[in-house]
Amino acid sequence: MQYSEKVLQHFMHPQNVGVMENPDATATEGSPACGDQVTIYLKVDEEKLIIEDVSFLSYGCASNIATASIVTEMAKGKSLEEAKKITWRDAMDALDGLPPVKAHCSVLAADTLQSAISNYEIAHGLKEVPNFSKETIIEELKKIIYPQVGEDIITLKMVKYVGFDEKTGEVLIDLNLMSFDQYRDNVAEEIREHLEKYPEVKDIKINFPSS
Amino acid sequence: MNERIYMDNCVTSAMAPEVLEAMKPYFSEEYWYPSSFVSTGEASSAAFEGFRKVIAAALNAKPKEITFTSGGTIANNIALKGLALANSGEGRHIICSTVDYPDLLTHAGYFEKMGFEVSYLEPDELGFVSADKLKAAIRQDTILFMSTMVNHVVGTIQPIQEYAKVLAAANHKIWFHVDAGQAFGKLHLDVAALGVDTLAISAHKIHGPQGIGALYVKKGSRLGPYIHGVRRFEGVQPGGLSLAAMAGFAKAVEMVYQDLDGHIKQLRELSDYLLEQLESQIDYVELNGPRGEGRVCHNINVSLDFIEGEAITVMLDMHKITVATGSACASRGLKPSYVLMAMGKNHVQSHGSMKFTLSRYNTKEQIDFTVAKLKEIAVVLRERSPLYKAIKK
Repeated sequence: MQYSEKVLQHFMHPQNVGVMENPDATATEGSPACGDQVTIYLKVDEEKLIIEDVSFLSYGCASNIATASIVTEMAKGKSLEEAKKITWRDAMDALDGLPPVKAHCSVLAADTLQSAISNYEIAHGLKEVPNFSKETIIEELKKIIYPQVGEDIITLKMVKYVGFDEKTGEVLIDLNLMSFDQYRDNVAEEIREHLEKYPEVKDIKINFPSS
Repeated sequence: MNERIYMDNCVTSAMAPEVLEAMKPYFSEEYWYPSSFVSTGEASSAAFEGFRKVIAAALNAKPKEITFTSGGTIANNIALKGLALANSGEGRHIICSTVDYPDLLTHAGYFEKMGFEVSYLEPDELGFVSADKLKAAIRQDTILFMSTMVNHVVGTIQPIQEYAKVLAAANHKIWFHVDAGQAFGKLHLDVAALGVDTLAISAHKIHGPQGIGALYVKKGSRLGPYIHGVRRFEGVQPGGLSLAAMAGFAKAVEMVYQDLDGHIKQLRELSDYLLEQLESQIDYVELNGPRGEGRVCHNINVSLDFIEGEAITVMLDMHKITVATGSACASRGLKPSYVLMAMGKNHVQSHGSMKFTLSRYNTKEQIDFTVAKLKEIAVVLRERSPLYKAIKK
């Protein structure tokens, strides 16, 4: 068993699980094809901008459910500004760590929370819909975990080049992963899943070093 | 229930107490290796010949056609590399299927790197790979066909005899290797009737010791040596293979083969009961692979819709129940079961697949307990699942 006691506790007895009636904001990230999907519902105090209530649904593995549980626990009662600072690393630390191959589960949970907050802010005129740019791509790449070590591919310096052609909508990424790398296809697939959801992205080209 | 319920016997199985007893003398009393004209050596040669006879009889082979190896994977290595390399002068085309055991598929990848060309046959939705597809794939330069007799995920039994007929009808020799790891002890295996050239089996899947297997090599097969080194016994891979393990292997085979039909019937009854309980007790359960005779007697693989298999196995583990899943989240490579995907299952079906492989040590009571727990788990996880909530709306 590679899971910490805390992970198992949150998996077996998750907090804040269930559909919320009339939420102020929701977000769904992931997909059945990736094997995990999380939906987060928020109830926000409009005056104080505090997260009054939060709940989630999860289709996924034990660590997926556990991280969604801990992320909602961490967000509950916090102001939107405070909750925006919750990262996947915080979620992982709060669970006493996850096996490296499972780190991406904490990213999904934290990401879904951030999307729900962002959806709330956009709907209430607190922020503009952000412009899609190269920075957006880099922010997305920071959410992609290399499973063997449980770190993101930007931190690990696996991304050598990122380009975005605004006219054609073509994304160009150079990844420093060799052909024999067992996670190369996973990483490439996840990059596509993260970027395809943006309507500005029409084509994604991922280059690898020639071996 | 206090004891662990183990239903992952296709990976490895509990060693029978009788097997351990049969092994003991060869660790400390009769540990010798053969050497000429010395009594210790002769005793070990006689013991070895006895063990080899047991394995040969089970397969209806001649004792000299059996080579002990340090496991099923090494047996596959010796056969596949041995056949491909020794016959590459005749051609460089090899055939297998997309649902073969990893031992075979990793060889396919290796052969491709070595300059061979590999054709991958596709299965149907039940996991069967038809002999017609093999026939269509044969070329003038085809030298080898490798096949997994019983699929390791869904238990589909491949038509080995029909393959052999197709291969025999070709106008040149095509070598035929079969991995029978999941078939041995679960089916009648008669190598002569099957028409194979080489066939690999292992001991630890039939309650024998880990670390010992055997390779059948039909007399007259052209097989190059793949492992080099000192040969202690003729009929054993080079190196110091354990005589105790051979003793254990032989004992495990004897125990199964003293009543093979009864053994198969017992496993079939348990599997039928398990499937019946799963289908009648739990909603949204779908069997993967064939029903009935086309399926090996100890394998049940079902998909539970809307939920993910790793979460299910972790929860079952809390109740001391061991089963397997085809979910990507439970795999090291984070990929869903390639067998289920090749059979046309979607991601949710693959991620939600549960594989139960039974042994003679499982009981109906264990099955009742497991299904009851699985039923509770399915309710709990579905309550958390956005996919289930969407369908319920």
